[in-house]
Amino acid sequence: MQRDVGSLPLAPALRARLVAAGFQTAQEVLETGPCGLSKDSLLSPEFWLQCTTALGSFENLIVSSRNIEIGISKEEALEALQVVRQECHSDATRTAGAPGTSRKCTALELLEQEQAQGFIITFCSALDNVLGGGVQLTKITEICGAPGVGKTQLCMQLAVDVQIPECFGGLAGEAVFIDTEGSFMVDRVVDIAAACVQHCQLIAEAHQEEDHLKALETFSLESILSHIYYFRCRDYTELLAEVYLLPDFLSEHSKVRLVVIDGIAFPFRHDFEDLSLRTRLLNGLAQQLIIIANDHKAAVVLTNQMTTRIGQSQSTLVPALGESWGHAATVRLIFHWDNNQRLATLYKSPSQKESTIPYHITPHGFRDVQPPAVTQNPEGTEMNPRKRLRREEEK
Amino acid sequence: MAAKKLRRARLSQELCERLSRHQITTCQDFLCLSLLDLMKVTGQSYGNVQKLLCKVSLACAPKMQTAYEMKVRRAVNPSSAFLSTSLHGLDKVLHGGVPCGSLTEITSPPGCGKTQFCIMMSVLATLPISMGGLNGAVIYIDTESAFSAERLVEIAGNRFPAYFDSDEKLFSMTCSVYLYRELTCGSVLKRIKSLEEEIISKKVKLIIIDSVASVVRKEFDTKLQGNLTERSNFLARGASLLKYLAEEFSIPVILTNQITTRLSNGPAIQADLVSPADDLSLSEGASGGRKRESGCVTAALGNTWSHSVNTRLILQYHDLPTRQIRVAKSPVAPFSTFFYTIEKSGFVLQDAAPKTTLPTKTALLGQVL
Repeated sequence: MQRDVGSLPLAPALRARLVAAGFQTAQEVLETGPCGLSKDSLLSPEFWLQCTTALGSFENLIVSSRNIEIGISKEEALEALQVVRQECHSDATRTAGAPGTSRKCTALELLEQEQAQGFIITFCSALDNVLGGGVQLTKITEICGAPGVGKTQLCMQLAVDVQIPECFGGLAGEAVFIDTEGSFMVDRVVDIAAACVQHCQLIAEAHQEEDHLKALETFSLESILSHIYYFRCRDYTELLAEVYLLPDFLSEHSKVRLVVIDGIAFPFRHDFEDLSLRTRLLNGLAQQLIIIANDHKAAVVLTNQMTTRIGQSQSTLVPALGESWGHAATVRLIFHWDNNQRLATLYKSPSQKESTIPYHITPHGFRDVQPPAVTQNPEGTEMNPRKRLRREEEK
Repeated sequence: MAAKKLRRARLSQELCERLSRHQITTCQDFLCLSLLDLMKVTGQSYGNVQKLLCKVSLACAPKMQTAYEMKVRRAVNPSSAFLSTSLHGLDKVLHGGVPCGSLTEITSPPGCGKTQFCIMMSVLATLPISMGGLNGAVIYIDTESAFSAERLVEIAGNRFPAYFDSDEKLFSMTCSVYLYRELTCGSVLKRIKSLEEEIISKKVKLIIIDSVASVVRKEFDTKLQGNLTERSNFLARGASLLKYLAEEFSIPVILTNQITTRLSNGPAIQADLVSPADDLSLSEGASGGRKRESGCVTAALGNTWSHSVNTRLILQYHDLPTRQIRVAKSPVAPFSTFFYTIEKSGFVLQDAAPKTTLPTKTALLGQVL
């Protein structure tokens, strides 16, 4: 209630007039009422003088003087009052600690929430282990890597895996795929989805349980493809616009549990002379994505490119978009090569240890590297597909 | 989309005028400002500015499609998704051929056959759809002056003798190949920008740029200060323009590149970050006797360019006259190698079975499932 008038989210001109008329706190504005406001802010001669000197040219003066003579109408005053009242209300509830809209909770509540939350599995059990179960919801995960190493493959795999029904150990969610590089191939997603459906069918056959068979009726190739929402952004303006509209889209499609932005680096790496603008836009994007991830309980996965940093004596490959972008993601994975083997390194994580594991890209998608001495054994008796793969590896 | 004027985004007239006084005329300018800046320039309250942002975003955000709709669209027009290379083994591995709507790059040491491949693809694009072509014109941007019209006619006549049985057919085929000679980076970029109208008016179905590397490497010496960023900017701009054309019209774009030696000054070169497929000296069949210097031979034009192309094919010498073609980067194909020779009729594949470097499909099925 004692909030300073200058900090209220009103139109700047209106704010300036209120301050010039002598109002200092929100309380005073609320007490005056709309009629009082519109009368009081009709201008004092001093204010008129200030405006004319500030406005400079004669045309500007004519235009704005027309506005000033009118002052604030009663309707404008009412609008302003409503804004002020709303602000004071939300301030009050925030200080009173009302639940729901506030973001305050104890660590115990957070622990229970995190444990009940699922993960999005990647079908590569080594990578799932390293990540602590899979890609986490409500966090931003960034995947960096050299060209051709498999970043888009993993993204397509995750877009399919998020839709696995709950009885098979998945999240039964939907996916939003924002593509800036044009590397999304529908045929490849068809292959990956077909392999996933086949995998689940084999599990269902081994168990013959009611809910498995029922879930399989809706888990088909067609339904998987229909629940991947694809946006093709050609430049950073379209990307910014899409991220502004994303919260509304996610409120309409409340089952979305994964947002993939494939190629956050590509639109920002050319035609940007003003690097400070780029940093500001990227930071804004990162903030909006964190809010989206938290509010809608979704996982956000970004892919980044590698760039050459020219050092004193040698050059190294580092993730693109600069040092400050490194702070944006919560979890960072770096994919790279070692002779002919693809490796994934967990480079940054708040809860898991840094480690490197090998992986393969097969015609079925993203998979483990099979250890050489594995005998052909019949399917295990586990419900969770993740656990099954681990079992086989132990044998 | 970025340059869309705010007027067309359904903002009120007076608001547009007010914004243009602050030099904000396009959606791009509007979306680049922070919320406080927007409040200042529009003179509106916080809530109203958010509504304006929504309006402007709606005007330039892309349309949503589900993956299923994309698949259905592909299924309706299967022939228009790929341009068959008429090399059967390669087509099978690539799920149909050179994909439409994305960039494909051909890299090789000099003399392996990049220009021959491009000339062969030009012939194929002009063929009718029943024969695996795209029944359209070809735009060939030549920066090395290596294009030979006689060779074009020779390949056409020898590869499809049954179809090109009359001089008339050969002439109509040559009429649909439009050749542009550009010798500087600036003129190449200008030409690419002007292509949109030509594609529509001439019904173009294939764009070839031979070669990107020669013109870029002539003009940008990366040892000089600042040239590396200039070069990356030019390449990135060109790549995004070409991607836009490829996707908008659903046509394939073929580019050629050269190779370079990446030297290192110590044992710890980040060779593990370079794809083994790009590292030419690691492949079998590289002509023996070449010492492995402390460096590796890779495709030129740097990392950023490698990110921009979607498919990469590498040509190399094997035992002369046999050469090999390798699929080094593809979203749908594993690494595979094929052997070929260059004949009168263009490329001819040698072996029947491709060599893939992954375990076979049946072994995988048994272990994964």
